[in-house]
Amino acid sequence: MDATEIPLKPPSVPTDVPTSDVEQIERALIDASTRVPVLMFYTSAIVWLLIGTLLAGFVSIKLHEPDTFSGISFLTWGRLRPAHMNVMVYGWASMAGMGTAIWLMARLCRTVLRHPLLLVAGGGFWNFGVLLGVGGILAGDSTGYQSLEFPPYAAVVLFVAYSLIISWAVLMFRFRRGDQIYITQWYLLGAFLWFPWLYGAAQLMLFVVPVQGVMQAAVDWWFANNLLFLWLGAIGLGTAYYMIPKVIGRPVYSYHLAAIGFWTYALFSSWTGMQRLVDGPFPAWMITASIAATILTIIPVATVGLNHHMTMQGYFPLMRYSPTLRFTVFGAISYTVFSVVGVLISLRSVARYVNFTQASIAYSHLGLYAFFTMVMFGSMYYIVPRLVGREWRYASLIKLHFWASVYGVGLMTVMLLPGGLLQGANMENPSLAFAESTQTILPYLRGRSLAGLLMTAAHFIFAFHFGLMLLGLGRTSSVPTFLNPVEAEGSEEHL
Amino acid sequence: MNERTPDRSSLVRQGTDYGETADVQQVHAAIQREKREPRVGLEPLSIWLIAVYGLAVFFGGAYLGRYSGTFSGDGLDPLGGPPPTKKGAGPQGEQQQAELTPRDRGKKIFAANCQTCHQANGLGVPGQYPPLAGSEFTTGGSRRPAMIVLKGLQGPVTVKGQKFGSAVMQPWDKTLTDQRIADVLTYERSEWGNNASPVTAEQIAALRKELANHPDSFTEPDVLAVPADAELTGGEAAPPRPGEAAKPAAPPPKP
Amino acid sequence: MKGFVPLVLGIFGTFTFSWVGLILIPNLQIGHLDPQMDEEGTDIYPMPQSGMAERGRHIYAANGCVYCHSEQLRAEYAAADLDRERDAAPEPRPKWGQRRSAPRDYIFNRPVLLGKERMGPDLSNIGKAAPADGENAAPAASPGASPAPSASPAGSPAKASPAPSASSPAPAASLPPKPANSPAASTSPAAAAASPAPAGSSPPAAGANPAPTAQIASVAASPAGSAAGVEPKPGEPAPYSAAWHHRHLYSPRSFSIDSDMPAYRFLYEKRPIAGEPSAEALKLTGRDAPQAGWEIVPTYDAECLVAYLMSLDQSHPLKEVKSAAPAALPAVAPPASPAAAPAAGKGTK
Repeated sequence: MDATEIPLKPPSVPTDVPTSDVEQIERALIDASTRVPVLMFYTSAIVWLLIGTLLAGFVSIKLHEPDTFSGISFLTWGRLRPAHMNVMVYGWASMAGMGTAIWLMARLCRTVLRHPLLLVAGGGFWNFGVLLGVGGILAGDSTGYQSLEFPPYAAVVLFVAYSLIISWAVLMFRFRRGDQIYITQWYLLGAFLWFPWLYGAAQLMLFVVPVQGVMQAAVDWWFANNLLFLWLGAIGLGTAYYMIPKVIGRPVYSYHLAAIGFWTYALFSSWTGMQRLVDGPFPAWMITASIAATILTIIPVATVGLNHHMTMQGYFPLMRYSPTLRFTVFGAISYTVFSVVGVLISLRSVARYVNFTQASIAYSHLGLYAFFTMVMFGSMYYIVPRLVGREWRYASLIKLHFWASVYGVGLMTVMLLPGGLLQGANMENPSLAFAESTQTILPYLRGRSLAGLLMTAAHFIFAFHFGLMLLGLGRTSSVPTFLNPVEAEGSEEHL
Repeated sequence: MNERTPDRSSLVRQGTDYGETADVQQVHAAIQREKREPRVGLEPLSIWLIAVYGLAVFFGGAYLGRYSGTFSGDGLDPLGGPPPTKKGAGPQGEQQQAELTPRDRGKKIFAANCQTCHQANGLGVPGQYPPLAGSEFTTGGSRRPAMIVLKGLQGPVTVKGQKFGSAVMQPWDKTLTDQRIADVLTYERSEWGNNASPVTAEQIAALRKELANHPDSFTEPDVLAVPADAELTGGEAAPPRPGEAAKPAAPPPKP
Repeated sequence: MKGFVPLVLGIFGTFTFSWVGLILIPNLQIGHLDPQMDEEGTDIYPMPQSGMAERGRHIYAANGCVYCHSEQLRAEYAAADLDRERDAAPEPRPKWGQRRSAPRDYIFNRPVLLGKERMGPDLSNIGKAAPADGENAAPAASPGASPAPSASPAGSPAKASPAPSASSPAPAASLPPKPANSPAASTSPAAAAASPAPAGSSPPAAGANPAPTAQIASVAASPAGSAAGVEPKPGEPAPYSAAWHHRHLYSPRSFSIDSDMPAYRFLYEKRPIAGEPSAEALKLTGRDAPQAGWEIVPTYDAECLVAYLMSLDQSHPLKEVKSAAPAALPAVAPPASPAAAPAAGKGTK
């Protein structure tokens, strides 16, 4: 749309034009070229998801039943927990994110994927790096830094892997067509550039030219927090900005909101992170700066939320049918919830009761699972049929997956947020023995294990379904897999 | 998104992979039903959203102003003013000690740093920490003990005929100044029946410079490679040893 | 957005802005701190760790202890950390700490292990909670023999104030009378306390006596690690002593049935008793105890880990932080002048 066509309110009828033949061929070629790298990344990601979920099961159960498999060195809780976190962040989340980003970049740059070997090699090295890293942690080489527990020999491999991948991303951007850069591309370019800078800076400042004392913790949390926001969060938001308008066939509501949302997101969320160290041995101003930045992230959250909401307005019923839309919108809403929770628990008066409790686990899972993972699932449900030439076979499995995930993460949040608050309240009461606070959280941890069972089921169902697709056992059909039968005439067009 | 639609032949030349053809009929059904790629509308900002921005900036800014302590590295208290004064109000300040001799200073340094391993009587712990009383390393030339104190010692070592080696001596070059190392060596070399020359800060400074590029920790062979009577050089020469009188007392105080 | 270059510049700019603000500037402020010293440079805090304690830190990090235990104390206006007590200790229970943690406490720590969760108590001062020297050894066979490696010599170079042996003349003066009877006195309440009670319920008498006994004993005998004159309590190691830590790591639920801590049995090995039981063998009871003729001994990793735990002590006052209690004095008053009131400084041992 150019300036002369600015509507004063949302149009009442969809104004998309039918896709021309040439465009369709172009997309087909692009999809075909992305098939091997993207499927490779997705398969790796899903395998890591399953491994990470099993590790999560151990972690959750051993926290309230500590004598399960106790005494075995590579199964000790203190090693399983970082193993789980790193597998999920670097194995599942990063690879799913990169897989989706590859496809999105190819489509949005409107150019066939060039140099797929770079990506395949990169993916292979990345897998190797994660394997080495997790093995190292379980063998007792963890570095002790949150999100950076991979021993240095694994980090080097990840670095090599990533240089291959980013060279590819830069080439794609260089050869893109069209003079406009779409919103998703801003976020993806940001993510692809921020990640190596973050990872490189953190590795330098912690291992190569180490900073002194508590600055290590500051660097560590700066990295861990920005990994979540500037790498995974950016990919998640960018994906949502593609999937939502694409599936419903309407333009994103406002360019201005998107631009403000992007830049304020980059500016403010990169300043958060230190609030995790509240009341710690640090100058107060740097903690407060992060808390203030967290408050200011209300700006991008409100902006992006409004943008998506107005884009979707009138089309919410479509969530009944489209798996992609359902997962993605759930993820986008969770992003808002996650941010609001983040603001609340970072305020000093609340942090007093929440710090050092399980509540921060709930918060991280809201971000990593309810937002990012669900958006990734949505994107996989969209992209995989285009790569394998088949539709998803069983709508019931998709529905099971969705609801098991939703109830799983919902139950986990409901268990750990209030549980953590109670734990914190008891910790603040010196007339109670410390063990009381731990006793308080135990029943909630059992509830969390139950939630974990649900999520485990969801992931195995999804993995099975994906496996069917890989083996060419999806449905051959020209109609996508709807979650519910489409009754109304004409609503098919919207999907 | 502006369209610049390429012609069909260039698409074909880009290469068709994996059995795909340019024939429209065989294009994947999903692509056929797809909508166009996403594009962006141009709705203006709503005034309510600007109000939300204003509120966020206000609260964020107010929070930052209120809870940042003194914005300095010492400002650990978010509500606090300047930290407690740095000028030692501690009890150490109250004890106005008379001017101490190097040996007295050395004694204090020894008690603070060395005594836990080498013991107050200089006898060490058998098998673990070597003795200093009567030790050939302590009482010989000043170079060997200075090396050990500066850079630490690890690995097996034999002192006065007994073997030690299960513990590691840490290097003190980063925590003790030249003067303090000199003082503690002076003390050790004149206590418990030892009767060796004092050590000066200049000598230690020279040695420190010499060893600046040496990685931490000597081993016994490194120390034994130095002649047993090697004295430190640098700065003024150490005062000559007291006479052969069997005085267990301290050497004459340094001028 | 049209421009690729402005986009990249903006991406780079926001990243750099965050790095400068949150990392570079704080690093300029607190990234190059020196230890605190008094005018003569004798009371240096903190000291770098070395040897076993340093290795123990890496074992602590590699086994993920940091995911349940913190090593930072919050100020009294921010939280109740400083009011919390060591629940396993006998009365009077030491508090978790006398002051909040400050950046200077961590300058020689690598990796720094502040911790983000507390399923178990904070450990900043767990080394300080150990009983006086004589109790540190898993009951040693002979005085002067090398005690449990984690006893004070390995641990206390990291502390600015060495073992109480240095300043014992003064506290000896203020202790309850009848030192000659104490060894005997200490055994009977010890016997009474021998029942494997859950943490914190040992009668006060058992706690009070061994400490003064150890101080007096260490005045007489050669200090630092000597167990001469101290009768070990049969069965139960003194809370927070090295032997206690070993048993806690091996079998946490033998102290407190509700404990949530994993058992770190892989840090210990079982071997047949060769002649005499080793000095460092764990004293275990009930289901944990090995069968006759076998003993459980710590591996080197376990000893390093406990050495590290015993070295954790942030009690030394810092000028930039307000202490909750009157400043503890440097225990290095030269033995010639005991009158500088170190008795007050003995505080909450």
